[in-house]
Amino acid sequence: MRALLALTVFGGGVAQATLAPALRIGDVAPDLPLIVVVLLALRRGPEFGCLAGFAAGLLQDAAGGGLIGVQALTKAMIGFAIGALGGGLRVTQPLVQVPGLALLTVVEGLVRFALLKLFHFPAPFGELMVYVVIPQALYNGFLGAALVLALAWVEDYRRHAS
Amino acid sequence: MKIRRLVVLASILVVCLVLLTLQTRGYGTHTGDAVALVTTPVQTAVAAIPRAAFGVWSLYLDWKGVRAENRRLREEIRRLRVEALWVAEATEENGRLRRLLALRNRLPVATLPGEVIAREWGGWVRSLTVNRGRGDDVKRLTAVISPDGLVGRIVEVRLGASIVQVLTDPSSTVGAHVVRTRTPGIVEGEPRGTIRFKYMARDGAGLAVGDVIVTSGLGGVFPRGVPIGRVRAIDDRGSALFHYALLTPVVDFGRVDEVLFVTGERMPDLAGFFPTDG
Repeated sequence: MRALLALTVFGGGVAQATLAPALRIGDVAPDLPLIVVVLLALRRGPEFGCLAGFAAGLLQDAAGGGLIGVQALTKAMIGFAIGALGGGLRVTQPLVQVPGLALLTVVEGLVRFALLKLFHFPAPFGELMVYVVIPQALYNGFLGAALVLALAWVEDYRRHAS
Repeated sequence: MKIRRLVVLASILVVCLVLLTLQTRGYGTHTGDAVALVTTPVQTAVAAIPRAAFGVWSLYLDWKGVRAENRRLREEIRRLRVEALWVAEATEENGRLRRLLALRNRLPVATLPGEVIAREWGGWVRSLTVNRGRGDDVKRLTAVISPDGLVGRIVEVRLGASIVQVLTDPSSTVGAHVVRTRTPGIVEGEPRGTIRFKYMARDGAGLAVGDVIVTSGLGGVFPRGVPIGRVRAIDDRGSALFHYALLTPVVDFGRVDEVLFVTGERMPDLAGFFPTDG
């Protein structure tokens, strides 16, 4: 579990550092660590999702230069929640994946905003939602769905090969 | 199991909230430092991975670029070498033609330039084929010279070409004399491709290695004073009537490419128009 956790944090961090700038559309970049945390939480459960979310979020906080702990907290909560609900979600359907990930991103954005407000950090709600959270939510939704499909295809291929 | 999960979640929530509280209460620097202790090495490693990967990738791209450039440069070098050969050849030819033209301009006799288009070097016959023939009004037995000296004489005139018997042809004989001693004699070609100066023993006492032999002009075929060769060795045959001096021809018959036919009727002394100092 530790190795996988480290791999998740590293993988998410590397992806965010390398792929996210390349995948940027206009000013919108996907939140790859969030997608990775969600995907792994679905498979590994709430405990793993929580720890992975915390570690990945902490790294993003440290890299971002804002309040440290905001993304660690939001991603840990999302990892836990998705891990806990994982069994009941039909995440193999793209019709669920895209809005699901978009919704999660919006929720994460709202919680983040709430935390920032709680700790008296200046953040304009409307602009953040319109220009950052919602475009990123949509992007995360489509990218996450593509990743889920790609993983499913790889697993099918491996199953047929074996 | 459920309790453990909740403990993990609660612990993380507490840690995060403590971190946030500390930052808003003025301990931001300390909190940042404490977190940086953990996150900086991870960030360094995270940053190093793509950097290394991109480094390898860019190295590969560089290598590919260098390979392509190498191929292109090799091709360019090959092309430039060919061009350089052409330039060297043209420069050399230009130099030869300039010398020939200079000689033609300063000679007090009519000449016709020609280009060597073939060589017969078998031993039985030593001749050059020059691209001037009957159409150019070339006559048999016309003297053929180059900027260095005598080449030979025309022995056959064809349509568009002439055959020049060079001095090294075994049947070639030319009336000549030694510039320094005025010793008269005959320059003969030899089957082995060399030339020798045949002279009467009583006349050749003072002959020395290095002496220059020029045409004597006797017989009316060759103008007087055209250099033929330089004495390389003397074959003293004791009491024999004739002695021989082995000569080094002043003209390199194997490399001569352009020649002049001496077409004028008048045959003046050309001694001052050729280099005879070696």
